[in-house]
Amino acid sequence: MIIPVRCFTCGKVLGSIFEEYKKRVYIDGEDAKKVLDELGVRRYCCRRTIISHPVFIKGNEVKEPIDEAAQYE
Amino acid sequence: MKIQFLELKDDYAKVLFEETSPYFVNAIRRTLMADVPKLAIENVTIYDNTSALFDEIIAHRLGLIPLPTHLDLLNFRDECSCGGKGCPNCVVHYTLSKEGECTVYSGDLRPEDPMWAVVDKNIPIVRLLKNQRLILEAEAELGRGKEHAKWQVVNGIGYKYYPIIEIDMEKCNLCEDCVKICPRDVLEIKRKKLVVKDEMACNLCRSCVETCKKDAIKVRGDEKRIIMQYETDKSLSAKDALMEALKALHHKYDELEKALE
Ligand SMILES: [Zn+2]
Ligand SMILES: [Zn+2]
Repeated sequence: MIIPVRCFTCGKVLGSIFEEYKKRVYIDGEDAKKVLDELGVRRYCCRRTIISHPVFIKGNEVKEPIDEAAQYE
Repeated sequence: MKIQFLELKDDYAKVLFEETSPYFVNAIRRTLMADVPKLAIENVTIYDNTSALFDEIIAHRLGLIPLPTHLDLLNFRDECSCGGKGCPNCVVHYTLSKEGECTVYSGDLRPEDPMWAVVDKNIPIVRLLKNQRLILEAEAELGRGKEHAKWQVVNGIGYKYYPIIEIDMEKCNLCEDCVKICPRDVLEIKRKKLVVKDEMACNLCRSCVETCKKDAIKVRGDEKRIIMQYETDKSLSAKDALMEALKALHHKYDELEKALE
């Protein structure tokens, strides 16, 4: 699937945060804890939603399961 | 009663209430969650959707997007003078039209007037491949958190008693067990004395009290001073949300008073 718009538990908007998280953690290789703190993700419900979201890393691109599914219509 | 903002950002607030009681602060907390009005997408008309996601999922994702809420310009749809048909005073229209290959973001929602433009423009809605299309129209209206979570302005709201930490230096043997066990890093040893570094960070877990063999620490909460913190989804600022909550609470008591008369 695609990243949830909001945290399932508390309702914080995570969609836009994950876009930046993806770039900084999976491509630039920054520390996930540091990035989450800087992006203002305080609670562990939101943190688990972001860190447990599956991704495929293909070279310089970070793909989510929806990108794979989209190809089979 | 006194109120003081310990921290105030556009979407985050930490408030200290003094000379108050837990019942009163809890009423504010519940009103903030359930009764503050907010704009959100309610009806979606989909003209074309050849993406990998179902119409319903896309409509659901659109509903969760935070929209700017100008409460002075909008009525509730069922209380509006148009009788619920939908007019510029109660409904805000958005359109979206995109063709792949691209990602559809919340910023692609085009409002009828730029003042209703989506606050957070980087929320991904759906990914489109080449030749896939998404064309739709959406209607946003006011609602309250008790109807659906998409109309909930604040999240992560909670409060705690003001921590009072008392250290008996006559009993303390400076073993440092409490300093090590504290999850919030509240205590420290300074010039051979155990001192409180940051009492407001304490979450009243009492691990230091349990670990101390000499019984030198006492931790309790002051029920008259309460620290409350919350975030908003940026549809309203943290301060506006609190103001609206107080208005809603006021309105409820007014209605009760009228009913009594
Ligand atoms: Zn959360
Ligand atoms: Zn109307």
